[in-house]
Formats: sequence, C-alpha cells, structure tokens
Amino acid sequence: MTPPIQPILSNSCAKAATAGEARYRIDRPIAGRAARIVALDEGAAEVVRRVAEQPWNDARFFVFKAPVAAADGTNGASADLVLQATDGSESRLSEELFDADVAIVIATSDDGAEAASTIAKACDRQGIMAAGLILGERLEVGAAVSALRPYAPVLLVSDDEDDVSEVLTALRA
Amino acid sequence: MLKREVNELLTQTGYGTPGGDLFRQYWLPALLAEELPENDCPPVRVKILSERLIAFRDSEGRYGLIDEFCAHRGVSLWFGKVTECGIRCAYHGWKYDVNGQCLEVPSAPEHNNFASKVKLTSYPLVKVGDILWTHMGHPDTRPGLPEFEFATVAPEQTYTSKRWQESNWLQALEGGIDSSHVSWLHSGGLKTDPLFKGTKGNEYNMGDLKPFFEVAEADGGLFVGARRNAEEGKYYWRITPWVMPSFTIVPPRGDHPVHGHFWVPIDDENCWVYTFDYHPVRALTTEERDAMKAGHGVHSRNIPGTYRPEENKDVDYLMDREGQQRGETFSGVRGIAQQDASLQESMGPIVDRTKERLVASDTGIIKARKKLRAAIEALRDEGATPPGVDPAHHHVRSAAVVLPQAESFIDASREAVAVQPGMAHSTV
Repeated sequence: MTPPIQPILSNSCAKAATAGEARYRIDRPIAGRAARIVALDEGAAEVVRRVAEQPWNDARFFVFKAPVAAADGTNGASADLVLQATDGSESRLSEELFDADVAIVIATSDDGAEAASTIAKACDRQGIMAAGLILGERLEVGAAVSALRPYAPVLLVSDDEDDVSEVLTALRA
Repeated sequence: MLKREVNELLTQTGYGTPGGDLFRQYWLPALLAEELPENDCPPVRVKILSERLIAFRDSEGRYGLIDEFCAHRGVSLWFGKVTECGIRCAYHGWKYDVNGQCLEVPSAPEHNNFASKVKLTSYPLVKVGDILWTHMGHPDTRPGLPEFEFATVAPEQTYTSKRWQESNWLQALEGGIDSSHVSWLHSGGLKTDPLFKGTKGNEYNMGDLKPFFEVAEADGGLFVGARRNAEEGKYYWRITPWVMPSFTIVPPRGDHPVHGHFWVPIDDENCWVYTFDYHPVRALTTEERDAMKAGHGVHSRNIPGTYRPEENKDVDYLMDREGQQRGETFSGVRGIAQQDASLQESMGPIVDRTKERLVASDTGIIKARKKLRAAIEALRDEGATPPGVDPAHHHVRSAAVVLPQAESFIDASREAVAVQPGMAHSTV
C-alpha cells in the first residue's frame, strides 16, 4: 500500500483554500458565449425584442418564423427553421447554430412546440447547450411546458420576464 | 456569473447588511438541543450572522441567547456560571437572565437600581424538534415558529446532526440546489451507503446519467425537478424543494428516511450545516440511527466532542487516492457530507462568482440567486416580507415519483410535495 502523502503547509488544503491564496488565482479575461435566443410565439417575441436592446457579449435574438419546407414540400419533417432577427433580417437555424455555444428558446404558449423540437434536436446533434424558458403563470402555460418538456434539457417556468436577462447574464451571453 | 456587488449582496449577512436583514426575518437554527442538555448546564458560545452570542439554559429550563460579552468590562460570559436563573460573569459577578437583563451588580451599593438599567442584546431561543431556533430580527416582525415536518414529527421519527463548514453559506446552499453533481461526486454512495442502497430509484439514477431539469416557482422558494428515463413512456422525477433562505430536502429513496439541510451563516466565511433525517410515518430504526451517528447518508463523522468533521481541510480531508482509483469514491473523500464540503471549501471562503462559467443545467442556481436578490431588495426598499417566512411555506416535502411523460411534474405531484401528517411520502 502506498503511504498517504502528508499535507505540508505550502500545498495543503488548509493553506490553499484561504482567502489570502485566492489572490493568486489566475485572472484572465473570460470570453462571452455565443448565445442564440429564439422566441417561439408572439408573446415571447415581445419579450425577446425588449431583452435584445440590452448590451450583450455575443448574443443574437430571433423570432421563429416558419419551418423550412422539407424536400417533399411538406413542413412536418423539417430539420431547419426560418428565423427572423430583431432587425428584421432572416436566416436559417442551421446557420445560426453553426458557431453557437448555447441556444435558449422562449415561449409563452404551446404554439412553438414543433419548432422547439427542431431546435433541441439540432442542438443535440451539434453538442450545443440548450434551455427553455416558459413565461407565464404555471396554470396558464401548462400546455407550453408539456410541449417543450421532451426537448429542452433544462426548463425554467417563471412569471418573471426578468429571468430571461438573468439567465443570459449568468451564462455570459 | 454575478457582478461583484451582487455577490457581496448575497454573501454578506452581518448586522446592518441587506443580506443580514433578510436572514433576520427568519427563525434560524442556533444550536442543537443536545448542546444544552439540562438546566444550569455549561453555556455554549454561538456565532450566527457574524454576532458573538452565548446560549444557556437556566435553573427553570428557560433558554437564553444573549450577547457573549459582559456589559461591564467585555469579558466573555463563556467563563461564567449558570446558576439560580441566570448566568454570572466570572470576573466581577455581574448576573444576567435569559433575556439579557442584568439582575445583579455585586459591587453596586445595596438597593441601588443600576442593574435594572443594564441589558445585553438578546434573542429568543426556542426548542422545536432537535433544534434550538432563534429569531434575530425585530420582535414586531417575528413570524410563527418553524413548522418543517422534520422538526415536528415525533422524536423517535427524526434525527438531526450538525457540522462546521469553512465556507460562505451560499456556496454550500447552492450545492443543495444543484442536483447535477450527484451522479458524479456521490456516485459511490448510491451503491454502498446503508441509508441509500437497494431502491428502485437508484436503478433509474444509475441507468440515466444525463438528467433533464425543470425549475418551478414555489410559495416559499423553488421546486427543482430532475427527470430521468424510466419504463417505456414514463419519467422518474426527483423533486427537491428549496425554502428560502437556506433549507432544502433531498428526494427520498425507497423507504429510507428522508434527509435534508439547513445552512446557517456563522459569519461570511463559515456556516453551520444542520442535517436531518426523518420518516413521516415510522420511527427510525436503531440501525438507521446508528448509521446516521456514524456519519453515513448525508451526516458527517465528527471529531468526538466537536461538530468539526474528521475529514476537514487541516488533514486534507483524509484524501484516499487509492479508493478514488478503485472507484469507491469519485473524489477520494469519504462520506457525502464531506465530499460536498471539501469541494465547496476549495472554492475559497467566499467564491468569486464574477469568474465562474455557468452552464444551462445551473438554471436552478441562477433562479435561486435571483429570488434571493429580489427578496433582499424588496425587503430593503419596500419592507416586503420575504418568501419562506410564513410557516405555511414550511409544509413541503421532497418526492421521488414515476409519471407518464406528458404529465407536469409539479401539477401531478402537488399532493406529493405537500406535508400530509400521518401519510407516507411519495418515493420510489
């Protein structure tokens, strides 16, 4: 049996975890995250437009417009979405996720469940963190919660619009 | 990531700080009842919310929690003698009652009323369950006594221990809200710990290492649901309630007792962790109680005669690298309590949250911080009573349930997460 290494002053937990030693933690700038925020319905779009006016590191804000038509002309099996940025320009989900670190969908109703599914699956394929924020009184947004549940690895149900900014700030968006 | 000023707002709890004002709205555990086991027993030094106090139990069984230092020359009353319904300072014999009122100043002339004009700061100290609770805020805002189920069931159904943690209270609490670390840091315990092993829920836990999380508002704080795949078409949900400011209950496993924590700031760089286990409908068995006393489950193995864990920072937490290599523990530290404490203490006394890199699964922590900040600001700016003060907010349970995939964990578990006296808890 290997004899246990005895702690000595300079590298022991007792020394290393002091407030004094915290001064020696490496302190380099931390880059912001490329966040893509997608409103799934009109109620969420209003919130996203307001939040987008705040200063962010590398966050882009969109409203889900429509599924990209599948090759057979139907919308059902679409793996891509048309997104509209807050400046009115349009792009594809696949383009926006290309260099994204995290995707957050915002919902106030169950209208965008299918789009949420598309976003969640795309994030899963590309290894992008995903979360869903559902805004409203719990009893009124139950359908939206059920719709997003299978797809969002993290769901926050809240009646406080400020939670959108709070989560984005915490994630360094 | 938090701004520096927000980190300070949430972590500072001394007198006169906004965070300190928040804590002073609640009844808080001050010490275990076992620390004052009989009338006129020795007094106990207590520091809570950065205030130095002395606790004692007088000749008639009344509990007192008063300023530690004699009003005369600032001597610690810890050296004093508890006698004849008061505590007498060892230096010049000044005597105080449980309300801090000075009863005698021996050097004063007879019939002099000087003593009646001397009163030390005092706080109420009340026994509920195994704990002596105090309220350090204004008497006008004193709420009803705590009604947490673990503290109100029959004595044979509950057990509480405590341990000293050398970190700020908030990083300790955040470990209780963050269930995503359990599958890593505590993975060894599910298989071997006598207070965890042998349940169906463990199979779900180990069968799905990528839980999904759902965070929902509660009257007193939050419910954090962690969901894993169960049988076809069903999810296994583990539901953790957080009651503000610092109380959480861990979801149950089978018929094992239910455990949880109450984190209480000692000062800004230390906290007490009160850890309980209880069963809503039966007495704890001798084996269970012995296991808890031995530091199994979420309890700690303390140095005899103290509330300091044997696995502490001065001995590098008795790090066992070989056990870590063998997979007996993930971090090399024995015991769930000290697995948590060792990592949380390694962050430094007050972790610098301006430098963290949170991820989406930290949403429960993000939301809890937001609620704390909102409550602190609402109290400071509007005098609003914070969530968790009302004893009705204490009537929550944790739960472990299997639900159809389409069902909302919180709606389907509304009864499961509410205390129903005499009814068993919902567990898998």
